[in-house]
Amino acid sequence: MSSRELVVEMRGVVKTFEDGRVRALDGIDLQIAAGEWVTVVGPSGCGKSTLLHLIAALERADAGTVVVNGEDLAKERDLCRHRAREVGLVFQLDNLLPTLSASENVQVPMFEIGLSADQRRRRAQELLALVDLTDQAKNRPAELSGGERQRVAIARALANEPGILLMDEPTGRLDSESGRRVLDLIQALRQQHRLTVVLVTHDAGVAARADRIVRMLDGRMVGEEVPAGRPPA
Amino acid sequence: MSFIALILKNLFRQRVRTGLTVLGISLGITTVVALGVITSGFKATAAELLRLGGADFMVAQEGTADMTFSTVSTEDWAAIARRPDVERAEGMLFHVARVGSNPFFFLMGRQAQDLAANPPPLKTGTVFSPAETDVIMLGDRAAGDLGVDVGDAVEIDRRSFRVVGTYHAGTLYEDGGGYAPLATVQELAGKPGVVTAIFVKARPGVDPHELALGIEEQFPNLASIVDVSDYGEVDQGLEMLDAANLAISVLAVGIGAIGVMNTMVMSVFERTREIGILRAVGWRGSRILRMIMAESLLLCVIAAGVGAALGVLATRAVLLIQTISNFLEPQYTLEVFARGLVVAVIVALVGALYPAYRAVRLTPMEALRYE
Repeated sequence: MSSRELVVEMRGVVKTFEDGRVRALDGIDLQIAAGEWVTVVGPSGCGKSTLLHLIAALERADAGTVVVNGEDLAKERDLCRHRAREVGLVFQLDNLLPTLSASENVQVPMFEIGLSADQRRRRAQELLALVDLTDQAKNRPAELSGGERQRVAIARALANEPGILLMDEPTGRLDSESGRRVLDLIQALRQQHRLTVVLVTHDAGVAARADRIVRMLDGRMVGEEVPAGRPPA
Repeated sequence: MSFIALILKNLFRQRVRTGLTVLGISLGITTVVALGVITSGFKATAAELLRLGGADFMVAQEGTADMTFSTVSTEDWAAIARRPDVERAEGMLFHVARVGSNPFFFLMGRQAQDLAANPPPLKTGTVFSPAETDVIMLGDRAAGDLGVDVGDAVEIDRRSFRVVGTYHAGTLYEDGGGYAPLATVQELAGKPGVVTAIFVKARPGVDPHELALGIEEQFPNLASIVDVSDYGEVDQGLEMLDAANLAISVLAVGIGAIGVMNTMVMSVFERTREIGILRAVGWRGSRILRMIMAESLLLCVIAAGVGAALGVLATRAVLLIQTISNFLEPQYTLEVFARGLVVAVIVALVGALYPAYRAVRLTPMEALRYE
């Protein structure tokens, strides 16, 4: 793990479902440094997505602490602010709003940061240019390919300039070429915007793009490694 | 993209459902507006009636279901006329009869000398003299409808009246009816020695309201009608219309709210996952609440517009029936349309409460897991 500033610190994190019968996370300790790309791998149901949801403040931990950008999420009363400003989320399914155009989808998170309609529109144009979709700004999700939809979702995740990009199987439904382009884009954006990336996958090829790979099994971290060919952080 | 643009897109994604909901609500608003226009029309006509002959107010029998049922004795009339604070007290007997194709011809029995002192603006002919009996002065609208003029005969309750003059007073009842000698109308109506109402003019310097109270104290069986809000004391028709209007407004709110609730609940259910996405990208519950409420409000405001337009069309259509247009002049007042809008807003707020509550209560993960 890097000696740089920590942006995510999880200590003894437990998360259960179904009145405690299902233990999705069972004592997770994880630290992620600013600018780091961490990939979480493991079989389905091992707790990867739940880990991501806790960092995104979509759910609260039952026990332990989750600190993001210095804020203990258990004590944070305004989780909407956290979701709107601190993190950007990309799901396996692009989860775009079907009635809105690509540009409008990108503008949706900006409602929470007080930009005017004109500012929102301009910023969406910039973000779509960043993901090379300027020409598709007016198209609805149904008129875009899977890879294009995922790039719109990435542009939306960056709408409010978060420091952390959280991605849940972002290439899981894409063909290999589209998947490679999305990963190249993430790599480029990460460098341009000094983003911290936390990516969940069970694709070894995708995992190899990371600075660090965290392995999970049955809600526990069972190992960490640096992908082959990369210097230790 | 503005917030309102987002709301419009949400609203019109299911055009047929939205259209049908708008239609359903607008029918309720149509009824509220149409009935409001009609009630206002009746009130305006009633207000005109209060001032017949340039009076300050009218005195009639208290508690009658309809003003035409009121009877005031000539003794009471004379006693009122003798009061020192009364400048003029003029008794009139109203009789509604079929004349030609009009089943609601408004015949006003009036003494010749009173008519001569305060005649309606004459168009043709003259007022009748005290010596004449079976004569009539017709309002220009009535004369036009009947196709008669001075010198022609008009049959009322199988009795022939010679037209001596026509006038234009500018009020619906007067112009659609006619004046005949009081004694003749009393005989025709079978009401000798009584009048329907007394039209009182206060002496200069006397407050008409105080005079009206004084007459009510002196004659407990009579009611003074100074303005249209007092009308219920002598005619419950307007009160019944008001009550019907209120009842229909309440019904419109109830039925409309259920329609809106159904539409909005369906809409929220269908968009559960989308609401989860909005929450996941940082939207606050309050913004989701505003979105749902605004969608409902917009739906109902559109329905209010459609309903108001249909209400106007409906009243116009009703007025094509001559029988109705003879005694009703619709009043398209701001108050009537405001009432329609208020009903629509209440429908929107009540109908959106549950769906909005449900949407706001969803946690992001509950919504995102929804299939």
